[in-house]
Amino acid sequence: MTNKGLSASDLTISRAEHVLLEGAELELAPSTITYLYGENGAGKTSLMRCLSGLLQADSGKIHWNGQPITNLDSNYFQDLIFLAHALSMKAELTIFENLSFYARLRGVKDPKPLIDSATHDLGIGQLQGRRFAELSAGQQHKVALCRLVIEPAKIWILDEPFVNLDKGTRHWLAELIQQFAKQGGVVLFTSHHEIEELAIDQRIGIEH
Amino acid sequence: MFSALLKRELMVARRNWIGIVIPLFFFIMVVSLFPFGVSPEAPVLQKIAPGIIWVAALLSTLLSLEQFYRSDYQDGSLEQTLLIAGPTQVASAKILAHWLLTGLPLVIISPLLGILMQINHGFVESNHTWVLMLSLLLGTPTLCLIGAIGMSLALAANRNGMLVAILVLPLYVPILIFGTSTVTASLENFSYNGQLAILAALLMIALVVSPFAAGRALKISVS
Amino acid sequence: MASRWRWFHQLGSPKWFFEKSSKWLPWIWASTLILLAIGLYYSLWASPIEARQGQGHTVRIMYIHVPAAALSMVGYVVMAIASIIGLVWKMKMAFAASRAIAPIGAAMTFIALFTGAVWGKPTWGTWWEWDARLTSELLLLFLYLGFIALHSSFAERAKADKAASVLAIVGVINVPIIYFSVKWWNTLHQGYSVTQKGALAPEFQVPLFIMIGAFYLLFIGLVIMRLRVEVLIREQKSRWVSDWAASHEPKQMQKRG
Repeated sequence: MTNKGLSASDLTISRAEHVLLEGAELELAPSTITYLYGENGAGKTSLMRCLSGLLQADSGKIHWNGQPITNLDSNYFQDLIFLAHALSMKAELTIFENLSFYARLRGVKDPKPLIDSATHDLGIGQLQGRRFAELSAGQQHKVALCRLVIEPAKIWILDEPFVNLDKGTRHWLAELIQQFAKQGGVVLFTSHHEIEELAIDQRIGIEH
Repeated sequence: MFSALLKRELMVARRNWIGIVIPLFFFIMVVSLFPFGVSPEAPVLQKIAPGIIWVAALLSTLLSLEQFYRSDYQDGSLEQTLLIAGPTQVASAKILAHWLLTGLPLVIISPLLGILMQINHGFVESNHTWVLMLSLLLGTPTLCLIGAIGMSLALAANRNGMLVAILVLPLYVPILIFGTSTVTASLENFSYNGQLAILAALLMIALVVSPFAAGRALKISVS
Repeated sequence: MASRWRWFHQLGSPKWFFEKSSKWLPWIWASTLILLAIGLYYSLWASPIEARQGQGHTVRIMYIHVPAAALSMVGYVVMAIASIIGLVWKMKMAFAASRAIAPIGAAMTFIALFTGAVWGKPTWGTWWEWDARLTSELLLLFLYLGFIALHSSFAERAKADKAASVLAIVGVINVPIIYFSVKWWNTLHQGYSVTQKGALAPEFQVPLFIMIGAFYLLFIGLVIMRLRVEVLIREQKSRWVSDWAASHEPKQMQKRG
């Protein structure tokens, strides 16, 4: 059975009495990479938080594989990784502890090989035992990206994943996203400028 | 999932152990102020001991809430865990971790405060210390459960501990009444089973309501 | 089925409420005034004073104290019910209602406390006694203040509504628990009780009931007025509010313009 993807219909979102989106329609099919663009404050992040189920829309419906995402039977939240601006790692814990926590939360039995390979690819393999607080900002960002490798998912919603990345990591992430989409994944990401390494299938703009 | 959440809370707390010890110091120091402020005479201390120890336990629980919730909210891991594990489960893990790391130590250290406050004064043989521990054992989880709701709501409002106190303290009154009265009854040689039963009943109610309400509040805080 | 629920949906419409309530208010205020006039006449002049306890005219405070205390409790319960409706059915009017009730309920609680203290001075010889009813009212006031403080702490109204509603629901579960604990605690310490047990004599009963009725109407009228303001604030961006504002501009302003 093929996945019907993520769709939103007649979506209205407002923040602090300010209407950001009105009656928006959205269709994110499997194996597509969607680039979401718009000026600061246009509502990109709000739309992503809404699609992730964190923010409640004023009206409209969001379906994952034909089921409303608020439906308790839907596997939406098991299938979703939402990477926000905040890196969501504990400063007190090491890279390994942080990442294996997320893996265990997803029910991954033995996350070590995955963590090893992801951190190795990003050049932070030697730092696995370091506390998150002791890492540089760039290294911290890389740790957060490792979640994409470690956690099984069918849909990625990524808020500014490419910001402040060095060239190597950008390549790595673009490759990872491409791979994920090839395997049937749904990708939605925002960025301030287009990423030349990435073959984008769909562009969605939000205007003021 | 729940065990992963709980394990993470405990690990963070272990690295941040001083945050766990401070509420305990606070508990001891607040209680030991009263002999200076009121009187060091044993009969006087004995009379006020249950109330003082309970109020100190209550404030200590309240003040320790912050560290269990605030940092997760700020570093973004709260919304991630809420997404993956769901609000009720996240709230339950936090409440349990908070009680294990601050409520339970209060129970264990309470005999020391019993000694400071002379609760065994004038008794040849007494089980007042056990009664004090038992009342705290049944009461502190309820304090953590209710505190979680107030803390989550204050997080949503992006306010500090003062708001938590305002929201939670009126709700703490029944626990204070029955917790204190358990110990007082024991000191006056009355039966205290009724009070303990009510403390247990309050705990049951809080167990049913709190994880759900606190989860709901946490969800609001990340929206 | 549809018609039975229509009132519920209509109440959920701010515009409908705002238009209708302007027609209700004169009736509510008129009957409040009539009942208050009758009630106050009976309670302050026509009813007997309770001579046997030597309280004299202080007994008359009861006619304010009891209705205020009753409304303070009812107000909290209604606020919590509105909160549940708001959270479950996502009805914005219910949130507005719970926000509108809070300060009025708090005021009723304060009146109950104040009259209790005034009654206490000649009766007990002290302004404050840790009596069961007064203590419960004090804690109820704290609960109201918590609700107001929480609601006012938010920059975003939608978030404030939801969070304060969670608090109101948790609070209403606690109200009976607090009430019975305080009562139990009070008997333990052999406290006093403002409310004498046993049935009131009819000459006290009738004016008291009239006053309770008057207070209910007063409460409803005040809540509707506050709710109208809440509706205007919350709907300020909608068309009908600007139309209404244009047609209600003060006369002088129009002249000057």
